[in-house]
Amino acid sequence: MRPTLGCASLALVLGMTGGALAQSGEITIWSWDVAASSLQSTIEGFNAQYPDVTVTVEDLGNQQVFDRTLAGCAAGGSGLPDIISIENGEAEIFWNQFPDCFANLRDLGYTEEMASGFPDFKRTELEVGDVAYGMPWDSGPVAMFYRRDFYENAGVDPESITTWGDFIEAGQAIAEANPGVVMGQADFNGDTEWFRMLANEQGCGYFTGEGDAIAVNQPGCVAALEAVKEMADAGILVAGNWDERIQAIRAETVASQLFGGWYEGTIRSNAPEQEGLWGVYEMPSVTEDGPRAANLGGSALSITNTSDNKEAAWAYVNYTLGTNEGQVTMLRVFGLVPSLLSALDDPYVEEGQPFWGDQAIWVDILGTLDRVVPSRGTPFFGDAQAIIQATQTQYINGGFESAQAALDDAASQIALVTGLPIAE
Amino acid sequence: MRATTRTAYGFLTPYLLIFAAFWVWPIIYSFYLSFLSTRVQPWTFNPTFNWGRLIIDPAFFNAFKNTMIILVIQVPVMIALATLLAVLLNSHLLKARGIMRFAFFAPVVVGEVAYAAVFRLMFQADFGVINKLLALVGVAPISWSSNPTAAMALIITAVTWRWVGYNAIIILSGLQSIPEDVYEAATLDKVSKTRQFFFITLPLLRPIILVCVVLSVIGTMQLFAEPFLITNRGGPGGATETLGLFLYRQGFTVLNFGYASAVAYTIAAIAIVISVINFWLGRDPK
Repeated sequence: MRPTLGCASLALVLGMTGGALAQSGEITIWSWDVAASSLQSTIEGFNAQYPDVTVTVEDLGNQQVFDRTLAGCAAGGSGLPDIISIENGEAEIFWNQFPDCFANLRDLGYTEEMASGFPDFKRTELEVGDVAYGMPWDSGPVAMFYRRDFYENAGVDPESITTWGDFIEAGQAIAEANPGVVMGQADFNGDTEWFRMLANEQGCGYFTGEGDAIAVNQPGCVAALEAVKEMADAGILVAGNWDERIQAIRAETVASQLFGGWYEGTIRSNAPEQEGLWGVYEMPSVTEDGPRAANLGGSALSITNTSDNKEAAWAYVNYTLGTNEGQVTMLRVFGLVPSLLSALDDPYVEEGQPFWGDQAIWVDILGTLDRVVPSRGTPFFGDAQAIIQATQTQYINGGFESAQAALDDAASQIALVTGLPIAE
Repeated sequence: MRATTRTAYGFLTPYLLIFAAFWVWPIIYSFYLSFLSTRVQPWTFNPTFNWGRLIIDPAFFNAFKNTMIILVIQVPVMIALATLLAVLLNSHLLKARGIMRFAFFAPVVVGEVAYAAVFRLMFQADFGVINKLLALVGVAPISWSSNPTAAMALIITAVTWRWVGYNAIIILSGLQSIPEDVYEAATLDKVSKTRQFFFITLPLLRPIILVCVVLSVIGTMQLFAEPFLITNRGGPGGATETLGLFLYRQGFTVLNFGYASAVAYTIAAIAIVISVINFWLGRDPK
């Protein structure tokens, strides 16, 4: 477990003082999937303190929130709700292009002391100088979710899987022992999440930590892309988008899913009848004794400048994200991993989870957090993402001689598009 | 200005104001925008920034290539199928012609989002009905959404399904305007049905088929909904990204309005070139 930070509890105390001011009115939030559901889950506790504020959460889907927020900001803020969920990796394009679209949370009561209750890797993308555009919400320490029964049928002990090579071997054994079951799924159609998780594990990302150069052709990323292709070639990693993966979980045709910790709630809420069948282990590495921790996703909440009720919106954001009560509610109900450090010491984290075969999964998942290498989204994430998607598709389909050649090509394309240099 | 002209312009003013604000001004402004570097605030004047990138951007050429592939494969296949379908629908042997004609026309009436959702389900790799049917005849499952070639085939299939009946109905109207006595005379001269089709029907249908080709080419240049909805924004990895999608991505996903403007002007220029070629090919042979 992480050591407690004194300032985190200070943040909590400061957060509670806001309750003295009676707020009223209606606020609307845009969010997606389990994130939206978890925001819904904190309304009850919030209304206990602020009975006169009506909170409405609209679940638009992840891409829709991004698209409509950009369109709304481009239109000077018209049509935007009071609060918007923003993914960390995609956040900087908003402040970069529309510095006036979002309220400075510092003006609403989000002090430096409160901000210091969150880890630095969550804050870098949300703050520009003295302006805080967003408050950190959850983080996404990567974990391998797996079906205990499918692994047992093949005699595979998840503890023995330490490299991606082991994962491939195990996958083949599991497919053989469980007809119709595939080892894992990746969104080869519209995302690069496996590549990003493996690259982050290997200490590499699209850009350098400072966000001022392109790093995607560095050795860590090359090793990650090679591993992804090996898994795809071996047939143990097949294509599946978000919905198809949920379908596969329900239909019991998939043995493992690699995702950020927030996927816990997705599995649990979509397949409640599979209680006790699932477990969690650390993601394997490229090499024996290599790093086995990464982060995928994680979001923040921002308040729009056009909101008529910024104080009420801030009260909700602060209750949901700035208090242990709010953060642990979301962890409990939907598995959103708190980025508020003090929430990690909540007794709930230590408990064995019945759905997960009484494994204390949060101890295991959160235990990787302090080994995660920060990865910067930058305002150019969208550009780089499209290029890497195309490169990954071509490479997996044999369009490049090597992963190095593929990523060198991608790096030069990103350089063309962004004007950033390629890191040495 | 004469009084009547003034009155006429007076009545037109509301429309002209809207036209100026929402058509003329954006067209001029986007031309200006294409010379700005809009990557970061503040925007700066830099004429070579977007245009220089455009002529070497592999992603733009990929989108151009994809659009051309659809143009060169899908349009001829669809028009040929539509012509065949029109001839069949025109046959005297066909029963319940009204219902048959409506059935083939119906796909156009279905909303894009609805039919895209159904296609996604049908072509889903694990549970989709298409792969299940292929399995019955021993074909290995195809990853329609993650294999670049299969994804392109899927888009072409979907667009053809949706528009073939529409074109067939247009061609059918052309068929019905061909006088019966031409065929009677040919039959008396012992010209076979096949030769009648190639030497009477097709030449007389030429103008109407040209209309279908022009409409389909315009449609292809604007193709957006199918690759956006069925293959998830031109996936996998841009393999079905059309010029329309590429423009959308530059404008509204990465917010590079300057580059998006340059791309928009280029697409317009390509459309003009293709229209001129069409016009030239379709000119009266005399």
